[in-house]
Amino acid sequence: MDDLQAALLLALQAILSGILVGGVYGVLSIGLSLAFGVMRIVNFAHGELVMYGMYAGVIASKSFGIDPLFILPVSFVVMALIGSAQYQLVFKHFVGHATLQQLLAAIGCALVLQMIAQIIFGADTRTATSFFSGQYVIFGPFFLSMPQIVAFAVAVVATLLVELLLHTTTWGKAVRAVADDMETAKLVGVNASFINIGAFALSAGLAGLAGSVLVTYFPTYPSVGFSLMPIIIIATTIGGLGSIGGTFLGGICCGIIQQMTAMLWNSALQDVPLYVLLMLFIAFRPTGFFGLRSE
Amino acid sequence: MTLLAIDKLSVAYGDLFAVREVSFSIDEGIVFVLLGANGAGKTSILRSISGLTPARSGSVMAEGKSIVGFSPHEVARAGISHVPEGRRIFPNLTVEDNLIVSFIPARAPMPAAQALAAVYALFPRLAERRKQAGGTLSGGEQQMLAIGRAMMNFPKLLMLDEPSLGLSPVLADLVFERLAEIKRQGTTILLVEQNATCLELATRGVILANGHVVLAGDRHALQDSDFVRRAYLGV
Repeated sequence: MDDLQAALLLALQAILSGILVGGVYGVLSIGLSLAFGVMRIVNFAHGELVMYGMYAGVIASKSFGIDPLFILPVSFVVMALIGSAQYQLVFKHFVGHATLQQLLAAIGCALVLQMIAQIIFGADTRTATSFFSGQYVIFGPFFLSMPQIVAFAVAVVATLLVELLLHTTTWGKAVRAVADDMETAKLVGVNASFINIGAFALSAGLAGLAGSVLVTYFPTYPSVGFSLMPIIIIATTIGGLGSIGGTFLGGICCGIIQQMTAMLWNSALQDVPLYVLLMLFIAFRPTGFFGLRSE
Repeated sequence: MTLLAIDKLSVAYGDLFAVREVSFSIDEGIVFVLLGANGAGKTSILRSISGLTPARSGSVMAEGKSIVGFSPHEVARAGISHVPEGRRIFPNLTVEDNLIVSFIPARAPMPAAQALAAVYALFPRLAERRKQAGGTLSGGEQQMLAIGRAMMNFPKLLMLDEPSLGLSPVLADLVFERLAEIKRQGTTILLVEQNATCLELATRGVILANGHVVLAGDRHALQDSDFVRRAYLGV
């Protein structure tokens, strides 16, 4: 009886932690989902944009003594600018078709960005400290990390703001029109190139912001982007490519499954069930839970 | 006054010519019909005017100015609206948002709310459905939305690519009746059809076959031509 109760508590603990880390996986992934939804571009360098956001947090914390949470707007703007440059140089030529060349170009981008990070920051693992580092919240039998709670709150707010932007502003509606049908959006007078660069900048900005939040409890290194990419892709696939809310929920699903596996089975195998899930979704429901309607 | 003048327009996909040296001009205030079977080059002409498919050669003049090389959104902003084949409404946007994204403040003589009201007056059905996702509408409603969306641009020239395609005869009649109303309100219409019944609405037009103009004239000339009688009316 006691064993059962202990296991149940452990499972609940795993679910709570999973929701918290999953929220951050969600906000890591919505940028990728947005870029795909609008431009049909799969940006394999999305994780590298997150990585630079993480280093921004490290620099703020270690070199200037500023809490990484205070530089979120800076990370957003800087990564949005870098993203726009990346779009102009590389992705502009692939809008509308996620071809093999596009994937290779994105992976090339990722490698270049990693190399630059290695030259600037070195290969060592770096951490950042925020005001909340090391703090915990204990309620009842549960034990929650304060940086994760704060990161979750930031993730929820960021996701809601993006949804609000896309659903209530004229710009956002134009972005969704381009996502639905780029050619027809042009016919009704939408300047699609202008919309695309804005959407890509938003996607990159979100990656930067997510990185600066993530680094408050997760260390960074030049290839951290590649290690985050599987989770980002799985969250996006489960939630539905192109759906912002769906992708966020996909991230939460990933967090819960990962934490359950780690706590109840083996933390070395925490990502294995996620890969199984990815295969199942690709086989049986490739549009995810909330994939967009197509004509 | 001539609103649109097409001169020796050719459109090709690779080596394959869909349109060869087609010329016609459209006066303000009329309904001009491009009639022809599948593959006659009708859609290619519209896509070329809109800038979706660049012309291989020839000229397209709107109000005396060349619009060759314009991007599709620039053509729309020049007052030419294109209702594409298959309606192509935005399925994940609500009916109202489908209309709103097509509203260009710089072109409109009135605020967005009034423009919406004008479209709803033309198609009351859309007002009932305004909060619904575009993808949930029936085929007829989607066609109304596609036309309403084009009207949000206050076009000087409204181009429609087979608006009756896939609609029941009753709904097709309703669509043509609304087009007559749009014409009465002063909008010039370029209508592409393969169904000769649309000639009822026409002021003038051309008949296309294999990318060539085979006949040009006013409504009676087209209706009385052997070509239409044989090919379309089966008499």
